[in-house]
Amino acid sequence: MSDHQLYLSQIAEVIRELFDEYDGPITLETTARDVPQWDSLSNVRLMVLIEQELAVRFSTAEVQGFKNLGSLIDAVVKRKQN
Amino acid sequence: MNTFFPWRPPLEENWAARVAELEAIAAGGEMPDYAATRSVANHQLGPRQQLRIERLAKRLGTIKGNGFTRIELGLLGNRTLSYLCDPLGAAGLARGLLVSVHEAPYDRVAGFAFSAKNCFERGLDAVLAVLDESALQGERPLLDRAAEDEAVHEAERIASAIAEAARSKTGCPAIIATLPPCIQMTSADIATPGSIARFRLRVNMMLGEGAAEGRWLMWDQAALASRIGIERWFDPIAYHSAKVPFNVELCPLAADNIASLLAAITGKSARALVLDLDNTLWGGVIGDDGLAGIRIGQNSAEGEAFVAFQDFVLRLRERGVVLAVCSKNTDAVAREPFRRHPDMLLKEEHIAVFQANWDDKATNIRAIAEKLGLGLESLAYVDDNPAERERVRRELPLVSTIEVGEDPSFFTDRVAGSGLFDHLPLNSDDLARASSYGARATVAEIRARVGNYEEYLKSLEMRMTISPFDEVGRPRIVQLINKSNQFNLTTRRYNDEDVRRMQGDPNFIGWQIRLDDKFAQHGTIGVVIVRKKGSEWEIDTWLQSCRVLERGVEQSLMNSLIEQAVSAGVVSIRGRYIPTERNAMVSDFYQRLGFDLAGTNGNGSVDFICAISQYEPHPVSMNITLCV
Repeated sequence: MSDHQLYLSQIAEVIRELFDEYDGPITLETTARDVPQWDSLSNVRLMVLIEQELAVRFSTAEVQGFKNLGSLIDAVVKRKQN
Repeated sequence: MNTFFPWRPPLEENWAARVAELEAIAAGGEMPDYAATRSVANHQLGPRQQLRIERLAKRLGTIKGNGFTRIELGLLGNRTLSYLCDPLGAAGLARGLLVSVHEAPYDRVAGFAFSAKNCFERGLDAVLAVLDESALQGERPLLDRAAEDEAVHEAERIASAIAEAARSKTGCPAIIATLPPCIQMTSADIATPGSIARFRLRVNMMLGEGAAEGRWLMWDQAALASRIGIERWFDPIAYHSAKVPFNVELCPLAADNIASLLAAITGKSARALVLDLDNTLWGGVIGDDGLAGIRIGQNSAEGEAFVAFQDFVLRLRERGVVLAVCSKNTDAVAREPFRRHPDMLLKEEHIAVFQANWDDKATNIRAIAEKLGLGLESLAYVDDNPAERERVRRELPLVSTIEVGEDPSFFTDRVAGSGLFDHLPLNSDDLARASSYGARATVAEIRARVGNYEEYLKSLEMRMTISPFDEVGRPRIVQLINKSNQFNLTTRRYNDEDVRRMQGDPNFIGWQIRLDDKFAQHGTIGVVIVRKKGSEWEIDTWLQSCRVLERGVEQSLMNSLIEQAVSAGVVSIRGRYIPTERNAMVSDFYQRLGFDLAGTNGNGSVDFICAISQYEPHPVSMNITLCV
């Protein structure tokens, strides 16, 4: 499994726990618009949970800039390489 | 960092299965078992387990049923507090509370405090106000002392207005959060009038004084932030991106800290600390190592750590926590260090119940609860041995068994961190409590010797004082109303404002009852509220502290109430018993006092009536002063 897929599967578990009413697909293209419970408030909580789960810390700019789960995972991969 | 909750037990393998079982019951619309639910929540939860318990708590909030104490909590702030809502539910479960959080719309502080509108649009049990200084700050030019004084006064005015609005609009007390310390700028911060650091300290002292005077309650956010470390408490990224006043990751911990305060408000704090002996109060095994061989005091670092823990235990006792010993030992051997070891801070007289024998711990803890007249839920248990802790948790899930670990240096942190003994600002009755329980255990022993009960009661030289509700007595009255569970006929809870209203209302009789005897001043031990309805009076509330059972208090008190009724020309008095899980001990109260059954209601409550002309006064074995 590629790093991207590995992180995606970990993040998917977090998303399913936090947004328990969502049972649609979770892919690299998934965005907050796809998940009804994912609003700006719960986004902060989700970021913290992902940071805890993957042991990373995003920067102020990054948190604002993620387009979808793929770009979030790009940032994770970049952190893990450094 | 491993866990926010080191004092809770670690997750066992079957944790998820246990939760699933409770979730299934809740999904069917039934309230799952109280002890089992409280116990799964009370673990070292990781982030995902935390979410699961938050969801369970939310679900349970919608289900009717007994067991948990329900709290409607208003949340008011000038920053985003939404992340506290769900964690408060989870933290409540672990402490036996079902907390429903009602969050005020963003930044309604001034609107709530100073306008006529109630943004909660309902009554509440408490309003928690978490303000940061942008809500408080006046102009504070550096070195301008007068401006700083003025800014602190302004903060006090806002706090008072919030407390007053909580009382008048939502009928409940306000809990005001202290301000977290800020990151140090220079060494001279608090020596510099006008600095942020100094302003926050002064505001916090002001909030502390107000809490001591009973003007509001206080959540000491500052203390928690210091414990965690300010650099971790404040998360600048979350603050700048979402105006979150402290690290979202820490919300479960903050929620738990608040929940311990809510537990104190609702009388769910622990009241007694049960202590193991070997390797808990001293190093080594007294039965094997002997008095000279145990490690306590100045002979070793470990010995010092045990002394420090004993000192902490004594400070708990000073605040009214009752101490008991539960040890697998021969009684005389177990008592020896208390009697003869020069470095022991704890002495026999500090221990209300000393239970040293070879029975299992659970049996002995049950016996301790019985001797103290306390429910198992009021007990916290400390034992260095993980196997014993595990067994007690399994057999007595209602007892709070604290995960103290095995190193005595950390016992104090774990017990203090647990918040189990959290309390509101103390009154003098609280301070007398521990010695009163000690006296009570002594009384039990004398009673066994005396034999004749009447003589025994007389030998106590009891003095009962009945007086109407008043300003001085009100904090204790409210406390009793909200935390008495066992000797409580109707378990109706009233807050400070309710009691204040009754105090001035001619349609109510509100009595506070004090009891003293030759062993102890028990303080206020009973509350009676009667609604006058013409020629019939109705006993709305009758509760007594379990510190003084079987003393003839209720008989003497009923005599006095009937005398009042006679002089007011009343024909009959009605009383009601509303059964709960905790008050079976008073199910026959009215019959014992000579009332007749008047009917049973659909909800299981039972009504009784007493025709004044038929009442036979009960024999009295105390001196009664009626100040009404």
